[in-house]
Amino acid sequence: MNTGFVQSVRALFALKPKQKLTTQYLFSLLIAVTLAFLVGAGLMLLCGYDPITCYAAMFKGALGKPRAMGNTLAKTVTLCLTGLAMSVAAKAGIFNVGGEGQLFLGALAAAVVGARMDGAAGWLIVLCSLLAAMAAGGAYAWVPGALKVKLKVNEVVTTILLNSAAIYFCSYMANGPLKTADRGIATGTDSIASYAVFTPLIPLSNLTTGVFYAAGIALFVWYLMTRSTVGFEMKITGTNARFARYGGIRADRLALWGMTLSGMICGIVGMLEVFGLHHRFITTISSGFYFDGMLVAMIMRYQPVGVILMSFFFAILNIGGSAMELSAGISSEVLLIVQSVIIFFMAAEGGISEMVRTRSAARRLRRAARKAEKEAAV
Amino acid sequence: MSEIFNIQLVQTTLRTATPVVLCALGCLMSEQVGIMNIGVDGMMLMGAFFAVLGSYLFGSWVMGLALVMVVGVLLGLFYYVFSVKFKSDEFIIGVALNILAGGLTVFLLRTLFGVKGSFSGPGIVPLPTIHIPWLENVPVLGPILSGNTLLVYVSWLLVLVSWLFLYKTPLGFHLRASGEAPEALRASGRSPEKMKRLASVLCGVLATLSGAHLSLGYLTMFSENMSASRGYVAVACVIFGGSNPPRVFLAALLFGFIDALGMRLQKYIPSDVTSMAPYVVTVVMMVIVVLFRRSRLAAHAKKLG
Repeated sequence: MNTGFVQSVRALFALKPKQKLTTQYLFSLLIAVTLAFLVGAGLMLLCGYDPITCYAAMFKGALGKPRAMGNTLAKTVTLCLTGLAMSVAAKAGIFNVGGEGQLFLGALAAAVVGARMDGAAGWLIVLCSLLAAMAAGGAYAWVPGALKVKLKVNEVVTTILLNSAAIYFCSYMANGPLKTADRGIATGTDSIASYAVFTPLIPLSNLTTGVFYAAGIALFVWYLMTRSTVGFEMKITGTNARFARYGGIRADRLALWGMTLSGMICGIVGMLEVFGLHHRFITTISSGFYFDGMLVAMIMRYQPVGVILMSFFFAILNIGGSAMELSAGISSEVLLIVQSVIIFFMAAEGGISEMVRTRSAARRLRRAARKAEKEAAV
Repeated sequence: MSEIFNIQLVQTTLRTATPVVLCALGCLMSEQVGIMNIGVDGMMLMGAFFAVLGSYLFGSWVMGLALVMVVGVLLGLFYYVFSVKFKSDEFIIGVALNILAGGLTVFLLRTLFGVKGSFSGPGIVPLPTIHIPWLENVPVLGPILSGNTLLVYVSWLLVLVSWLFLYKTPLGFHLRASGEAPEALRASGRSPEKMKRLASVLCGVLATLSGAHLSLGYLTMFSENMSASRGYVAVACVIFGGSNPPRVFLAALLFGFIDALGMRLQKYIPSDVTSMAPYVVTVVMMVIVVLFRRSRLAAHAKKLG
């Protein structure tokens, strides 16, 4: 790439309004969160619960004990990784809404490979399962990616539909051909040898050594996105595909790679769930983890630091919810409502703040006009 | 074979296709004005819940449908305000709406009825079944065309009405223009925003009605997450039906057929596989339609030289 091209790209970026996490954006986020909590409190009051008790129970349930803290952190890691998967695809100019299915397939592949390799060295089992999960998730993302790139089939719809297909497929495998012979397991595959699975970092919590793998992946993706040529090309493609093509970047191939990489990350998330928590594939391995992570990434505009913070916050809502339900008695779904209110406001942030700005500008103008009139009268 | 391919299969096809047809008609209105509405799945779920709620509270299906329509109008306005007025990403709003619907219905289910999972009971009045006297005794056609629940007929009627509305009335013309050429519409002295609002409200009403069919026509109960991604299937139907009501109707019927066939094959094939089929077939159909369009374009180009 010659310098002239780089310069013209810089000029292009200078023209585009910056989509960064500005102070104003963080301020709006604070307002959105407060409003969402107020909506939640209103609902609780309507149903005859005390909001303060409920929210206290939620925070205590998520952060009160080391074990709860560990679970919250583990959830944060899951959300961050799924958010990262979404970001990778989005930055390459393609939407991956099918992460849930890729996660399921990755988990199934990892569990099957892990269980079949019983007896091998621990690190080898982990490595092979990781590769299997990446292959399964990546391949399942490649299909809609290729359909989009080659045939212009809407990837949002295909990936959503493929989610359901993958989940049913995994459920069939776990209930049928791959069902474990272990007693007391209703639906699930054979378990992985105990020496190969991740060990908890905090006793009894879900936070395991898997977090280091997650960190490694995150670091790799960060390097890829910000320090490599591929990342640079992805950035341009995601910003302006036509311009990128003019500059000699093969946007199609990049989008396909972004999608596949995104699927691989989702597969790894599934593998981490298997090795960290369940030690086998079960049909309830994920309950919309990908969708949560995806929304976190979208409302934080794919900015890493923002995604991590927001993931932590959503993890508190998620882990604290069940504790709140147990101790305060209110259905934990109220927190789902709080979550969606935050998303609504953050999605509308640009429009609302623009409206407020134009209104206040108009008011200022009117005031100035009135002042001028008065002065003229005097 | 005759155990699987018989009149009952056609009956089940029509019944299972109906929610997708209604939802797809709504989605189509939205698509025509250029708003991609992923949130129809959540709207369907809300419709299913409020239909049961209305029917149970007032002891009448009419009130159930009335409540559903009110909720539909509100949801449509909500979608309009966020996507057009606040210029938010339609896709985020749609997904968030689906999450909201999942949370809100379960929350209300637990707090209002005190049950988990599903709610059914003698208090819920289902939609009436309509028997057409002179048609009922005709072989083959009789059992297929007569004895369906109300919304099945309504959905057929609406396919025709929405086609007439979109392509044969001035209002429909303006509605389509607001999606294709909003500036031209504005230049002609009409507001594209108003058209978008109308389409969004229609979409909300139709999508929630599809939910009402699910919970009051198809079954007489509400269960958590009962829309089961049918809203997304409806979006897919709209895409490969090219936003044209009759074509979208055919696409939805195809989905219903696969779904019904799967249900009847459950005796021989595990239910997970049969449940998987409609989604896979829908994706394959999307690909086939694109290939078909492409080859037709190529043939056209050849003819022109």
